[in-house]
Amino acid sequence: MRKLRILLADDHSVMRSGLRALLERQTNLEVIGEADNGRDAVSLSSSLSPDVVVMDVAMPLLNGIEATKSILKQSPSTNIVMLSMHSDESYVMRSLNAGARGYLLKDSAAAELLSALDAVSHGKSFFSSAVRRLLAEDYIRVLRQKGIVDSYDLLTAREREILQLLAEGKTNKEVAADLNISPYTVETHRAHILEKLGLHTPAELILYAVRKGIIH
Amino acid sequence: MLFGFCALLVLMAVLAFDSFHALNELETSSAAVRQDYLNRERTLRDIRFSLYESGNVLREYFLAKPVPAARESYLKQIHDLRDHAGASLESCLHSLPRDQSGAFQKLDAELSSYWLLADRIFLVDPTESNSLSLRNLALTQRASVLSLTGEVSDINELDFRQAEAQISLVFAETRHRIRLVGISALSLGLLLAASTILYLVHLERLAREKYEETLRSQNELKELSKRLVDAQEQERRAISRELHDQVGQSLTALLMDLQNLSDTPPPTSALASGLQRIKLLAEECVDEVRNMALLLRPSMLDDLGLTAALEWQGREVSKRTGLVVDVIDDEFTDNLPEEHRTCVYRVVQEALHNCVKHAHAHRVRIVVQEEEQHLVLSIEDDGIGFDPRRHRGMGFLGMHERVTRLGGNLTVDSLPGHGTRVRVELPLTSSPIPQGVQS
Repeated sequence: MRKLRILLADDHSVMRSGLRALLERQTNLEVIGEADNGRDAVSLSSSLSPDVVVMDVAMPLLNGIEATKSILKQSPSTNIVMLSMHSDESYVMRSLNAGARGYLLKDSAAAELLSALDAVSHGKSFFSSAVRRLLAEDYIRVLRQKGIVDSYDLLTAREREILQLLAEGKTNKEVAADLNISPYTVETHRAHILEKLGLHTPAELILYAVRKGIIH
Repeated sequence: MLFGFCALLVLMAVLAFDSFHALNELETSSAAVRQDYLNRERTLRDIRFSLYESGNVLREYFLAKPVPAARESYLKQIHDLRDHAGASLESCLHSLPRDQSGAFQKLDAELSSYWLLADRIFLVDPTESNSLSLRNLALTQRASVLSLTGEVSDINELDFRQAEAQISLVFAETRHRIRLVGISALSLGLLLAASTILYLVHLERLAREKYEETLRSQNELKELSKRLVDAQEQERRAISRELHDQVGQSLTALLMDLQNLSDTPPPTSALASGLQRIKLLAEECVDEVRNMALLLRPSMLDDLGLTAALEWQGREVSKRTGLVVDVIDDEFTDNLPEEHRTCVYRVVQEALHNCVKHAHAHRVRIVVQEEEQHLVLSIEDDGIGFDPRRHRGMGFLGMHERVTRLGGNLTVDSLPGHGTRVRVELPLTSSPIPQGVQS
C-alpha cells in the first residue's frame, strides 16, 4: 500500500519535530518535507505534491490560510489540515473558506493528528473534539440569546441525509452515487438546504453540521 | 503703580482746589480794594460838594443880609451840609487803612474847624465888619480844606495803585504756583503712563510666553500620550506573541512528547497515571496562556484582520456576560493599516466594556463599513444611557485620543434611558496593506 506523503508547515521547530516524531512511528505514512513559513509551504507543496499538508495558521511571510488558498489553486486535490492554537470560530470559518478539510488544535494534535490525517485523506472533514464542542455550545447559546428558532426541523429526512453527506466532504456526484439519485437532484436538495438554513457557502454548511453535531 | 495713580489724582485735586481758592481770593480782595477806593472817593466828593454848597449859602447870606429871623434857614442849610459831609466821613473813617487814617483825621479836624467858623458867622450880624472878616476866615479855611481833600484823594489813589500792584503780584505768584503744580502733575502722569505701558508690555510678553509654554507642554503631552498608547500596544503585542509563540508552543510540544511517551507501554501503572496528570496540567497551562495572550491582544487582529477580531470579541463578551452582540461587517473589505485596525478594535473593546459595566445593556449592535474613503464604526446599545455632557470617563477619553490621533472623530450620543451610540469616522488616506501578510 502506498504511504501517505505529508508536508509539515509550522514556524516552530519544536512543534515540527514533535509532529515528526509522532508521525515517524507510523508505518503507513511518511513526512516528505518541512516548511517554516507560508511561502515555503506553497513552493514545497508545488514541488513535492504531498497528499496532506499539515499547516500552521499563524506563520511569517504568508499565513496558513493564505498559503492554503494558494496551494489549492495550484492543486485542488491536496488535502489540508489546519493546525492552530485557537478554537475560535473566526479561525475555523476562514480555514474552511480557504478550503482546508480539517481543523486541528495544537494541544490535542498528539491525540488527534492521526485521526485527522485519516479523515482528510479519505476526503472527509475533521475537527478537533474541543472545536466541535465549542462550536456546538456557541450555536446553542446564540440561538437562546437571540431567540432564533433552529430551522433544522424544517428539513425533510432526505435533506438531512444529504446535508450530512455534503458536510462530510462529499461532492454532489458522490452523494448521488451513495443515494442512487441523479447529481441534479442532489444539487436541488443542496440549494433547498442552504436556503432553509440561511447559509451561503459550503464552508458555512460544514460549520453548521459541526455545530449541530451532525458530523464528528 | 496704584500708589502712583492715587498720588496723581490727589495732586490734580489739590491743584484744582488751590487754583480755584486762589483765584477766588484774588477776585474778592481785588473787589474789596476797588470798593474801598470808590467809597473814599465818594466821601471826598461829598465833602467837596458840602464845601462848595456851604460857600454858596454863605455868599447868598451875605448878599441878602437877612433879618435875624430869616437867618435860621441859612444856618439850617449849613447844618444839613455839615451833617451830610460828617456822616459820609464818619462811615469812611471806620474802614480806613492805617496809612490813610492820619490824612483823613486831619481832614476831619480841618473840616470841623471850618464848620465852627461857619457857625460863628451866623452869630454875628452880617452888616457888622467883623462878620465880614469872619467870612473871609471861613473862606480861607474852606480853601485849605478843599486843597486837603485834593491831597487825600491823591493819597487814596496812590494807595489804590499799591493795592492793585500787590494783587497782581499775588496773582503772578498764584499763576506760578499753578504752573509748577501743573507741570509736576503732568510729568508724574507721563511717568506713570510710561511705566504703565512698560508694565503692560512686560505682562503681555509674560502672557505670551506662558501661552507658548502651555501650548508646548500640551503638544508634548499629546506626543507623550501617543507614545504611551503606542508603547502599550507594542508591549501587549510583544507579550501576547511571546506567550503564544514561545510558552504556548513549548507547552504544545511538551504535550506531544507526553503523548509519545504514553504511546509506548509504561512499566508501571503509577508512571502512567503520573503522565496523565502531567498531561492535564500541561493542557490547562496551554489554555491559560492562550487566554492571557488573547486578552492582551487577540492574535486574530494580526492573523486574520479586524472583522475576525471583532467577531471573536463579540462572542467572548457574549459568552462571559450574556450581552447579545451583533457584529455587522458584511460591507467591509478589511484591509486596513495596522494602526487603524488596532484603533477600531480598542474602541470597540472599550465600548463593550462600558455596555457591560455602566450601561447594563442587553443588546449591542456594532457596524463597520466603508463610506467614501472613510471607515465608519458605530456601536449602539439599549442600555440606560447617560448625559455625555456631564459624564465623560477615562474610557471615552482614551477612545477619543486613539481616534483623533489618526485624524478621525468620535461622537457619543446618549440620553438617560435611551441607550448610547458611539460613532467613529476614520479617514482612510494611507495606503492599505494586503490582508493576511504578517510583518
